[in-house]
This record gives sequence, C-alpha cells and structure tokens, in this order.
Amino acid sequence: MTEEAKSGSYLGQAWLVIILAILYGAALAAVQIGWSDRIETNKRNKIYDRIPNLVGSEAIVVEERLVTGKDGREKTVYRVADTEGSLIAWVLRAEGQGFADNIELLVSVDPLFTTIKGMSVISQKETPGLGDHITSPERFTGQFAGITALKPLTVVKETASAPHEIQAVTGATISSESVTTIINRAIDNFKQPVLQSERERETT
Amino acid sequence: METFNTLLIIFVSAALINNFVLHYFVGICPFLGVSRRIDTAFGMGLAVTFVMSIASFLSWFFTYYILRPEAPVPALVAGWLGMQEGRTIDLSVLSYIVYIFVIASSVQFVEMYVRKFFPPLYKSFGVFLPLITTNCAILFACLEILKHLQDPTKLWGLHHALVLAIGGGLGFTLAISLMAGIREELDICDVPRPLRGAGVALIVAGILAMAFMGFTGVSKGLEDALSGPRASAVAQPADIDLLDIPQPE
Amino acid sequence: MADSGPTAGERFINGILPENPVYRQLLGMCPVLAVTNGLMPAMTMAGATTFVLVCANVITSLIRNLLKPHLRILVFTLTIATFVTVADRFLAAFMPEMSDALGPYVPLIIVNCIIISRCEICSSKQGLGTSIADGFGMGLGFTVALLSIAVVREVLGSGSVFGYELMSEGMWPRWGVMVLPPGAFLTFGLLLGAAEWFGMKRRERALGEA
Repeated sequence: MTEEAKSGSYLGQAWLVIILAILYGAALAAVQIGWSDRIETNKRNKIYDRIPNLVGSEAIVVEERLVTGKDGREKTVYRVADTEGSLIAWVLRAEGQGFADNIELLVSVDPLFTTIKGMSVISQKETPGLGDHITSPERFTGQFAGITALKPLTVVKETASAPHEIQAVTGATISSESVTTIINRAIDNFKQPVLQSERERETT
Repeated sequence: METFNTLLIIFVSAALINNFVLHYFVGICPFLGVSRRIDTAFGMGLAVTFVMSIASFLSWFFTYYILRPEAPVPALVAGWLGMQEGRTIDLSVLSYIVYIFVIASSVQFVEMYVRKFFPPLYKSFGVFLPLITTNCAILFACLEILKHLQDPTKLWGLHHALVLAIGGGLGFTLAISLMAGIREELDICDVPRPLRGAGVALIVAGILAMAFMGFTGVSKGLEDALSGPRASAVAQPADIDLLDIPQPE
Repeated sequence: MADSGPTAGERFINGILPENPVYRQLLGMCPVLAVTNGLMPAMTMAGATTFVLVCANVITSLIRNLLKPHLRILVFTLTIATFVTVADRFLAAFMPEMSDALGPYVPLIIVNCIIISRCEICSSKQGLGTSIADGFGMGLGFTVALLSIAVVREVLGSGSVFGYELMSEGMWPRWGVMVLPPGAFLTFGLLLGAAEWFGMKRRERALGEA
C-alpha cells in the first residue's frame, strides 16, 4: 500500500470522528461562552451572600485584597466598608483539617482584629447529627459574634465563662476544636499582614 | 518537613479514611465483580494502582499546563493570537474529555508495554487491564487532582497527585482483598437465597465501610501530632503592640 | 438497516422494571450508592443521567450507519463525555447548590456503564424513535431505583423528604449511619434482596399456575 492510499484510508475511517469532534468542540465552546459568567458569579456569591450576615450590616462595600500571610502564601482577604467608605470589618477565608474532612469557613473580625464579628462554615463533611452541628447558628456559630480575637480561642465542654471560650457541640468536641484551630491560625496568619497592608494604603 | 506531613496526610486519607471504594463508592463494579478470589482481587488492585498512578501523572501535566484557568500554555497562545493583555483562553471545559482519553490511552499503552516487556506481570494482572478503562476510581483520582489545581492558593504539585493516586490505589487494593477474603468464606455459608450474590456482598461492604469509619479523625490526630510544637506556638497571643496601633479597651 | 429487536414501546417498558438497569443489571452502582443520601441530589443525578442517556442514544442512533465498528467505543465515549460536560456546566450555572452537593459524581457519569451499554445494545442498532424511547425508559428505571434508595435513606437518616422535615428530632432519632457510606451499602443490599425475593415469588407462582 502506498503512503498516499494509506493516509486516504485513515481519513476514510476517521472522518466521522473528526467531524464529530469539531461539532462537539463548537458545542462546548458555546456552553463555555454562554454560561461561564454565570458560573463565576455563583462561585463568588457563595462567599458574598454570607458577608452581610457575618458583619451584621446590609449596606456594605466589599473589596477583595490579595495579602501575603505570615506563612508566605498569598490569599484573598475581603475588606468590608460601609457605604461612606469607612472600614467596618475584615473577612478571612480559612480552611483546615476537620474530624472527617476539610472544613472551609469564613470569619469576620473588626478593623483592628480585636473582636470576632461572626463565623460561617462554607463546606464541611463532619458526622451527620453530631459534627455537622458546627454549621448551626443556635448550637455553635452564634457564639462567635463578639468574642475576643486577642487571645486564641479554646473549646470547653461546659458553658463558656471566659471571653475567649467556645462551648463545644455536644458529642463533637474534635469538630469544634478543629474550627477554633482553623480560626486561630487564620487570625494569627493574617493579623499583621492585613493591618500592615491597610496602613500602607492609608499612608499613600 | 511540612511537605512530608502534607503528603503523609494525603496518603493516609486516600488509602484509609476516605477510602475510594468504601467512602466515595468509586470502583464498585470491580469491587463486586472481581472479588470472588483473593489472588485475582489482589491482581486487580495492583493493576488499578498502576494505571491510576500513570493516569494521574499524565492528567496532572495536562491540567497544570493546559487545562486549569491560570495555565501557562493557553496564556502563551493567547499572547500569540494578539489577545488583550491579561486575557487567556479557559480550557477547563475540556477537562473531562481529556481525562477519559488519557485514561483510555494509558490503559492501552500499559497493556502493550507490559505484555511485551514483563510477560510474568502481564500474566498476573494483564487480563484486568482492559476492564480498567471504565473503572470510575481512575477518573475520580483525576477529578480530585483537577479540584486541587483549580484554586491557585492551594496548588497541588506533581508529588501530591502521585501520592494521592498511589494511596487511593493501595486503599482500593486493601478493600477489594478484604472483600475477597470474606467472600471466600461466604461461599460455605448458608446465605438466604434472595441475598445470594450481590445482595450479601453489598451488606458485607456496608459492614466493612462501618469498620473503615473508625479511621475518621485519624487525619486530624495525625496533623496535630505532626505539627504539635508549631500549633502551640500559634497559640501565643499575637502581638498587637508591634504595630503600635491603639488598642481599644 | 431495518429495525430488529424490541419495538419502542417494549424498550420503554423494559427499562423501567423488567430490565431495570440498577436492580436487574447492576449497572451504574457508583451514583446509586453515592448520591442517595437525600432525595434532592438523587433526583438531580437521575435527571442529569437521563439527559446524557437520551442525547447519547439520539446521536448514536443517527450516525449508526456511518459507524466503523472498531471506532464505535471511541465515538460513544466522545459523545458521552461531551454531554456530561454540558450537564455539569448546566448544573454549575443554574443549580450551584446541587452542583456542590454532587461534586465529582456528575463527571463520573462518563464512566457510568448504563449509558455505554445502551449505546452498544440498543441505539447503535435501532432507529431514532426506539432509541429515544429506550433512553427515557432506562432513565426512568434509573430514577425509580435511585429514588427508592434515597427515600429510605433520607427518611431514616434525616427524618425528612426532599429536605422538608417529616418527623421532628424528638419523634424520630436520626439514624446518622443511613446518610453515611455504610447506610448506602446496607440499604441497597437489603433492597436488592427484597427485589430478588419478589421476583422469586412471582416466578414460583407463575410456575405453579402453569
């Protein structure tokens, strides 16, 4: 068989696959062009929808800022200002190992990192009926509003008495501890870099 | 050291805690179909581990350089095409198609290579190789890698991807071998007739899954143990005075 | 090519119970176990799978006379992967919560054996109408199977149906294990046994009458 005939027969066999591939490629490109903005918005909203609740105010302007943490990694920090432009809170996105799988959460602190304003869990896979109560405002997340950010949070099993204590979810001490560890680390990691970046912004 | 800790946690997590079969339910078909005898089950497990490593290796390269949103190659092409500065071509929509073909072709090549150069190896697990293309565990490993490459703040390196694949594969081997061991014993048991075959196998798998749930929390404990000194350093009150910002009472 | 084999109506009916892809053929086990911890994700998954199944059947049926036999698996895979990507993007764009809940199981439809087996068995041999009926029948059978497992797991595990609370926590202590992986294996194993038992009873009765 000559080279030419061979390539002809390849084409003869594969033309359908090639045409289909081109058609499918066009279809996927259309899907990408049509829906990618919406998908991006959805991803953004997963965080932005929670921010008003976290800082306790609806009329806010959120600005994303890339900050390099103490560990040398760059992360997005959300700077929340009121409508007049004065800073009311920082929202940090943090994640870490939970009892079952990774826990990802948002924590908001006041401008000087002295008090925590709120906490919200974005994703978790803790044990249903026990550990997954870390998402429940009544049982767990409600405690974080107004608690001190100057001292690392600790988890206690009975009613919290000191300002940095968090009462664990019944039967899920490890999940609760994971959450406070993630928050402590995030605050420790970003406190100075964020304050520094804000001061630099003010002086220039 | 920290890299090693992360890798160890990925490995233990993929092999035991979030076992591919008993936690994520991927690779159920061979888990039920090829678990009649221990030696075939073990061969299948090794074949899956092998192919999974190769497919993960390839798909990491494709994802890192071409498919992820910030990948370098499309950005380069966008530059050549004279697209606006900072704009790039997002090819992530093609990921699934690329993965399935990476898997199918790596299975083909592995089969040819092993048959030619390692006949004894081919004898022990070559027969399972064609079956592996439709094994969802392999695609699942590729998808996990994709998930960790999409977010630029926690980018996985090649070593992470390979450790995940090997851990996941060995976890699969462990699960399928355990299952085969139990099923060999089940053959001489008097199982109620409607449950014979898949029914009782699924119930056994449920009990195995329950046993594997005992591993939940190991990764947390492991992380605490490995990063013990660091964690207590974190627990020091952070120095706010360093920045001489007035501290409200 | 003249149609041979079962007609459209037969294909449709067959898919639902007599040849149910999950209970009878044990195909597509991965989503059956993974996404049935609630009725909502199960329903979404069934919808996505049916969409891919019908689309793949339509395309395969249309090009069945042009297919080269040794390239058919390649073409099937390409078709399925494309439609799965479309379904995945659709979920991410319009049902972001479900897309998060289903996670990797949407792309895993690509390796769901139900679809490729229907392309191979039915639509690459039969006409458009029959293939569409077969796609919907099999899809409906898959839906029925997913929902039957999901209803047991969600009611026992979270005391709710489609997310609406049926029984308060005091009335029904949540069986947490039902929403966890072991619950999936146990529920499906027992339901499979029950289906088999009914089948056996019916066969015995048919034998007795004959």
